[in-house]
Amino acid sequence: MKKTIFYILIAIIVICIAVSLYTIFQAPATPEPVTVTVTNTTEPAPEVTRVATPDQTKAQIPAGFEKDEPVAPALPSGENLALNKPVDSGLHTDVYVPKNVNDGKDLTYWEGGDFPNTMKIDLAGTYKVKTAVVMLNPAAIWGPRTQTFEIQVSTDGTNFTTVVPSTQYQFDPQTGNMVIVDFAATDAAFVQFVFTQNSGTFEKGAQAAEICIYE
Amino acid sequence: MKQNNGISQLIILGILAIAFIGFTVFQLLAPDKAIKANAAPTPQVIEKTVDVPQGSPAKLTLYDAPKTVTPSADATLTVEGQPVFVYDAVVNNTHAFSKTPKLSSTPMAYFDFEGEVTVDILMTGLADPITSAVISPISAGIQAEAKDGHVRFILSKPGQYTVQFNGSPNKAMHIFANPLEKDIPDKNDPNVIFIEPGDWEIESLVLKDNQTLYLSGGSILRGSVVSDNVKNVTIRGRGMIDGSLHESWVSAGEYARVPIDFRNSRNIKVEGIIINNSNAWCFNSFQSDGAEISNVKIISARPNGDGFTFQSCLNYTVKDSFVRSWDDSLVVKNYGMNSDKITFDNVQVWTDLAQSCEIGYETNKGQKSNSMITNVTFKNITVLYNFHKPVLSIHNSDDALVQNVTYSNIVVENALMGRGDAGDNNQLIDFNIAASGWSSTANRGKIKDVVIENLTVLKTDSDVTPPSRIYGYDEEHMVENVAIKNVVINGKKITGNKDLNAKINSYTANITVE
Repeated sequence: MKKTIFYILIAIIVICIAVSLYTIFQAPATPEPVTVTVTNTTEPAPEVTRVATPDQTKAQIPAGFEKDEPVAPALPSGENLALNKPVDSGLHTDVYVPKNVNDGKDLTYWEGGDFPNTMKIDLAGTYKVKTAVVMLNPAAIWGPRTQTFEIQVSTDGTNFTTVVPSTQYQFDPQTGNMVIVDFAATDAAFVQFVFTQNSGTFEKGAQAAEICIYE
Repeated sequence: MKQNNGISQLIILGILAIAFIGFTVFQLLAPDKAIKANAAPTPQVIEKTVDVPQGSPAKLTLYDAPKTVTPSADATLTVEGQPVFVYDAVVNNTHAFSKTPKLSSTPMAYFDFEGEVTVDILMTGLADPITSAVISPISAGIQAEAKDGHVRFILSKPGQYTVQFNGSPNKAMHIFANPLEKDIPDKNDPNVIFIEPGDWEIESLVLKDNQTLYLSGGSILRGSVVSDNVKNVTIRGRGMIDGSLHESWVSAGEYARVPIDFRNSRNIKVEGIIINNSNAWCFNSFQSDGAEISNVKIISARPNGDGFTFQSCLNYTVKDSFVRSWDDSLVVKNYGMNSDKITFDNVQVWTDLAQSCEIGYETNKGQKSNSMITNVTFKNITVLYNFHKPVLSIHNSDDALVQNVTYSNIVVENALMGRGDAGDNNQLIDFNIAASGWSSTANRGKIKDVVIENLTVLKTDSDVTPPSRIYGYDEEHMVENVAIKNVVINGKKITGNKDLNAKINSYTANITVE
């Protein structure tokens, strides 16, 4: 009996030693991979809006801006008696001097400096005049405006008679930016325009690129 | 006795067996703490990167150019990796007046943004490789990286920025980084003239009372916008008014097609647009009252290409704007009634010809009684380049009184006056009462009560302090009460007239430099 127990104990011990040695020398198991999360702070993606342009091969007139070709009225036939004749006015504005009013160039202009603006033209002779033309630059940049003026004539340059009373006229680049005023034929050595209003300038300042006088 | 020994052996064996059993159980059931002959291998670490956006996203609005426009061959630009169209802006690198000057081009681009954006320029139009790049205004403190032909930098604030390559003004790139647009006008509003993106030609556009002209980003309007005797008008948007189709106004048969011209008008607002290659002066106003002008960019190159030129105006403010001009950049004159309360605030100028901040020469061209120019302020002005005539100048060439003029917080990055045909008119500061070719009156005027404070000049020719001049005309037409304070030139604090290299004649009174 003792012997049996002895062998059992020996067997247990041997088995335990064997198992222990196995666990000691057993190759360790490969551990599971470890996942490490790294947080990278970034700029958020930009919100982009791209504005596209239409297919075009040249600059175009935008819709709504088309205009008919301007139609200017026919000028009277005959000589422009005012061309390059002596002129006189009151104050003028900036570089827009009186002589621009009859230099034959509609790109230059006279602008008065105070209402009433008087523009006197010496015809250098007496003529039986019956038509006056007041022009602005015909370019569209000279937008529509009204001007009010009276036309007077004189044979001596001092005593003037009204031939057309003060009237408001419409200037529009679509109609040549000019007005043609006819009146009863009258002897005149001087023609004088008295401007009292111009919707295109603030408070004061008549404007005329050319003033023409015809028989 | 022998039996007792046997029992004792069994007891010992039993204890040993129990100990071995315990040890074995421990080894089996507690593998983490068990005795091991070999250390466990280190577990494999798998790194996983997760991008976490932080903050609000940058917002970018980019505008295609009209299909009619050829992109610059000198530069390409991306912002946040997005391509941005680069225009060739016409500029004039000559510094002597000519009716037919030689013109050049320089890259120019614009976009709108909010937040922080990375800008990348690839310059292909320079003969030499890029070794350095500087962003102006230098006070913005933006550092650029130049590498492999690219220049990269970060913008975090809307504004106008000029990038110079290899320390040269040649092909400097102007970048107009606008704020995002807000409250774009309704194109169906009858008071709104809405110009869509694209290339559009209108000979002239005459604004009427209460109208808004809106120029969409990506639009080019070829024509003039004029207002005469109107009120409550607005011009805004991100588009461009361009004068390239027309020869210079000094050419035979041409005339000044001024891109923006307000005459006798009131309550004006202009915001955000670009004025490019005018055939004459650029932004003109005459006898107008009340204007708020902001974020307007002007580049001119042709004769008489003045930037902002205000004659006989009241209550005008220009802020947050940019002018590169081939004539006076910022100029106030009297052509009619008196000028009063004109302010330029936070404006960058690059003046290829004539003066940067000028009053005159015409101070009474309208030949009015008691003509005056009063309360004119130039503040927070950065002069990127001034090549020709004076930087800060009052040229009283008529009989007006010029009074209460302030130049405050002025930085001149490159004070290179005297180039070309400037001759002796090469001053940093020039206050002068004298007749000139622009005089309209026989009598002379006066200059009184002028302050220059916080004037910094970063670079001059050969590090020499440029001359200045303060000249009255006679005992009755003096320059009086000029206070010049805190001037630094090439890093050196100026402490007196001699330091300033200033000529001051006897027809002056109470001129102080401290």
